[in-house]
Order: sequence, then C-alpha cells, then structure tokens
Amino acid sequence: MRARILWEVAGFLWSRGAPGPARRSLSSGSPQLEELFARGGPLRTFLERHAKSEVQLQARGPELAVVAKLLSEKELELRETEHLLHDENEDLRKLAENEITLCQKEITQLKHQIILLLVPSEETDENDLILEVTAGVGGQEAMLFTSEIFEMYQQYAAFKRWHFEPLEYFPSEIGGLRHASASIGGAEAYKHMKFEGGVHRVQRVPRTERQGRVHTSTTTVAILPQPAEIHLVINPKDLRIDTKRASGAGGQHVNTTDSAVRIVHLPTGVVSECQQERSQLKNREMAMKKLRAKLYSMHLEAAASKRYNARKIQIGTKGRSEKIRTYNFPQNRVTDHRINKSLHDLVTFMQGEYLLDALVQSLKEYADYESLVEVISKKV
Amino acid sequence: MPVQYILREWDFQGLNLKMAPPVFIPRPETEELVDWVLEEEAQRPCAAGTQGGPLILEVGCGSGAIALSLLSQLPQQSQVIAVDKEEAAICLTHENAQRLQLQDRIRIVPLDVTLGTLPRIFLGGGVLDTERWWTHLLPWGPMDLVVSNPPYVFHQDMEQLAPEICSYEDPAALDGGKEGMDVIIHILALVPQLLKGSGSVFLEVEPRHPGLVSSWLRSQPDLHLDLVAVRRDFCGRPRFLHIRRSGPQCGCPVGT
Repeated sequence: MRARILWEVAGFLWSRGAPGPARRSLSSGSPQLEELFARGGPLRTFLERHAKSEVQLQARGPELAVVAKLLSEKELELRETEHLLHDENEDLRKLAENEITLCQKEITQLKHQIILLLVPSEETDENDLILEVTAGVGGQEAMLFTSEIFEMYQQYAAFKRWHFEPLEYFPSEIGGLRHASASIGGAEAYKHMKFEGGVHRVQRVPRTERQGRVHTSTTTVAILPQPAEIHLVINPKDLRIDTKRASGAGGQHVNTTDSAVRIVHLPTGVVSECQQERSQLKNREMAMKKLRAKLYSMHLEAAASKRYNARKIQIGTKGRSEKIRTYNFPQNRVTDHRINKSLHDLVTFMQGEYLLDALVQSLKEYADYESLVEVISKKV
Repeated sequence: MPVQYILREWDFQGLNLKMAPPVFIPRPETEELVDWVLEEEAQRPCAAGTQGGPLILEVGCGSGAIALSLLSQLPQQSQVIAVDKEEAAICLTHENAQRLQLQDRIRIVPLDVTLGTLPRIFLGGGVLDTERWWTHLLPWGPMDLVVSNPPYVFHQDMEQLAPEICSYEDPAALDGGKEGMDVIIHILALVPQLLKGSGSVFLEVEPRHPGLVSSWLRSQPDLHLDLVAVRRDFCGRPRFLHIRRSGPQCGCPVGT
C-alpha cells in the first residue's frame, strides 16, 4: 500500500513543472537536509552501499535504487551542462540556462523522493489526537497565556481544516485557562501537531502586573495520539467505572447533579476522569476517549523509546517537560529551542496560521533529517 | 431545592429541557433507556409503523424527556403519544415539545393509567362494567412501542428518600405502591389492548423488579407477555426491562 502511494507521489512529482513551495523550502529552508546530500557524505555512501547490496534493506529498496541512480545521472547532466554557460554562443548559453533550471528542479524532486522513501513513517501519523494544555509556573499570567495558546491551536486547526472539538475547559477567574483539552482530527493532524508537545514559555509584562516588570510563565502542552479502534482494543471487563451514583439504589431514588465519571483500567492502573458535561453518558464517552489515548501513548512509548533517545526533537512523554519554545513579547519574537529558529511578528504567529505552519514545517524537516541520519547510520 | 429547579433547565440526551417543580427531574440512568430503545429500533426491519417510523406510547411523560429524545433521534415519521396524570407534566411536556419544534409529532394526553377498573381479563372471568379509558388511545392505532419510567419506588422506601426529592418532586411520580409494582402492573395489563403483536415494551425499574415482574407475568398467562431481556445501567444495577408478547408474533392486538 505504501509503495503504491509513493509511486503515485513519484509520478506526480515527475509530471509537475515548477516545484511547489514545500519543495522550494527543501533546498533553501533546510540546510541540514541539503548537507546530507553532499558529495561523499554519509547519505551518498549509504545509497551506494545500498545499490551494491544484494540484500534488500527495506521494502522500498528497488524504488530507492532507481531514484538514487536517476539522481546521480541528473547531477552528472547538470555538471556537464554548466560548462556550456561559458560558451561563446549566446543561444547555446541561453539553452544551457534553461536546461540547468530544469535539471535543478528535477534534482530537487528526486532528493525529496529519496527522503520520502527513507524516512520511516510513524504508525501514528494518520491519527487524530488529543491536545491538552495546562497552565504551569506563573499563576494568573500563566493561565492567561494558556488560554491564548489554546486559542492559537484552535485557529490553527481551522486553518488546516481540521476538526476541533473541545473536551474539557477549566477557566480561571479573569478569563485565563487552568486546563483544557480538545480532540483534533483531520488529514495528517498528528503528523503536524506532534511537535507541539512540551513546555512553552512566555516572557512579557503580565496584564496583572502593576510595576511593568517582565515575567516568565509557562504552559505545558501535551499531544496524545488517538488510536483507531483496531490499534487498541480494551476489554470492558478490565474497566472499573466510578460515579457518584454508584452507591445506593440509584435511579428515581437519587437526584444528584454530580455527573463526574472516573474510569480505572484495572490491568495498568491508568485512571481517566471527566466531569465537564452535565450528562453522565457524555462524561463517560470523554473519559473513555482520554483513557484510550493514555493507554495508546504508553503502548507507543515502549516501542519508540529506543528510537528517539538521541534526538533533539522528542515526542511523547520524554519531551513533555522540555522547554521547547519561548514567546518573547517585548522582543516580538518566538524561538523554538530545538532547531534554534526564531520568527518575528509574535502577534501574527499567535493567530495560528501561516507563521505557525512555517515553524511546524521546519520542525518536521528537522525531524525528517534526524530520522534520515538514524537510517543511514545503521550498520548493515 | 434541586439545582434543576433553580436553573429551570437541565440536559437530557443532548437536549436542553425546561424543568419546573414538581414535575419529575429526569435521571441519568434514563438516558440509557432511550439508548436501548434506539438500538432495538435500529435493528428492526423497516416494517416499523405504518408510515416508516414507530408509533410510541409513553406512560408518565413528566417533562417529556423520553418522548422528545426519542423523537429527535428517530425518523421523521415517528410519533409519540405521551400520557401523564399530572396537569403540570402535561404543560411542561407541551412546552418542551414546542421549544424543540417537535409539537407536530407528539400528542400529549392527560390520562391516569391506574384509574378505572382493570380489564376483565385481569380479574379472571366475570364481565364487569370496565371503563375502557384506554380506548381513547386506540384511534391512533396499535403501538409499536410502549416506553415508560413509571413511579417504581417501593412505598415503604418513600420516606427514606433525600429531602431534595421528598420536598420538591411530585411523590406521585415516584411512589409505586407496594413493592413499587402498581403502575408497572397497570401498564403491562393494558399492553394486550394497545400493542402490536410484534411490538415491545421498555421499562425502567428498580433493581429488585426484574424478578418481581417475571413472577407476575408468569402468574398472568392470559396476558401472553414474556420478559425477554434485562439490561444493567452504568452502575451495574439491573435497571431496564424488555417485554414482548410470547408465542407467534401476530399482527393485531387482542381485543380489536
């Protein structure tokens, strides 16, 4: 299935003329990936080794060999055509220029294909996710910032045409947010949002500050992939559901508005609660959703912990307490510490549209780079 | 005072309903009764109702919670006849139906199912001057479903109810008489007159009722009714009963 999709992508890339913005940023916005393709570098060595090897290293082996060979040929063609740039004949020079531009485009596409073929896709990439935001250090100011972060992601979801459903919402007295969670779903939702998990730090003069001093506060963001039914099967017998109505006769005998539900997964001891809705049914549904996400997270952690150990971009519980980003209002700058990238125009960034998307793209490219490095450094 | 009466509204099955004392406040368990009915309806072949949606009788509609949540999740052609003996309940159900724009699909009838003598079949033989009050309902046709959350509290348990219930909610909506069976029995007794052969009765009851209802049905063989399923609520207590006619499922109710 994946091979078929890749071939379709390959075909699509071949037939398109100008590369789209994504591919343009591959060469200009991602120096690390470009570096990998340097002549004599580890990626080249890997591709040569792979071409010579009789054993298929991965399912996409044959395609990779073909694309790698094409890349070498195109690069040779490019070098040979470049000589013509110095030719006396003007027509020939113009022809050469055109040829070179075309060649460069094709080379970029081929490199992109190689990356697609080599970077392993995550089981979770197509999943929906649960977003959780929690105010950290900083009291009321932290809660105010948490509310702004939540809104930013809500707008980002709209921008990406994802489904955004708030599950829980615990506001503070002055319009801030203590804790909230939302279910986000849509094309590649998790693939994009997975880099947002961690501690976000804000530096600014709080609304509550009387003396104009700059404070630092934090918000913790957690991203939990939501498993599809088949990925995680929970036996109802393994669950204990606690509600306020559990004691006594229930039914007509009791009228209590406390519809809080608590679900305990007995084998693992994982607990999930929800008291957001008036309806016990709805609270149960939400608590189940959260439980599934938590259990799935645990299941993934076990598998992924080895892989992600050395990386800068940590996903999952390892990354949860890392300070990943600072939002500095006086300097109108947001910096992501993992890739050391700063973007200006913080107000526009917080609108959760193009600027946030651009940062997510950069993070994704860096994560691909780290993935790639791992793949090519593996001993055969 | 119960919160629902203070706020004058509460949610049920995703609908927001007006609440007014002393009309009975819907309990969360009852949401599962609605779910069960909807599940069963979804599984039936399309023969339900003459018009493509079931005709439902609800006994003791209160605020209209069950009737309206069923209507809002069933095909447009489904209809409900909702009866209650309390004037306030009739008014409140009417108001909620209008709020939800369902007034065209519900008929709200003041009716006390425990009044009038019981049909002769129940009294075992002699013909009596029975007030066949339920014939008011017959013109609408035999029902596909009878649904009810009848008063089912044992009379002897009434005084142990919490103050917010005793002092504010209509005791008649709670008190089921001796062993909480009075209204249940009256509903089951009228089923043969009103229910289609293929129809079903869904009741919410007290955890001790499944056994009691089962025994009672066995003691009334002429009713030809079977308790076919008991479902537990989310706290694990037996709470809901599904009753059907026993034997071959004939098309018409007895007595028409």
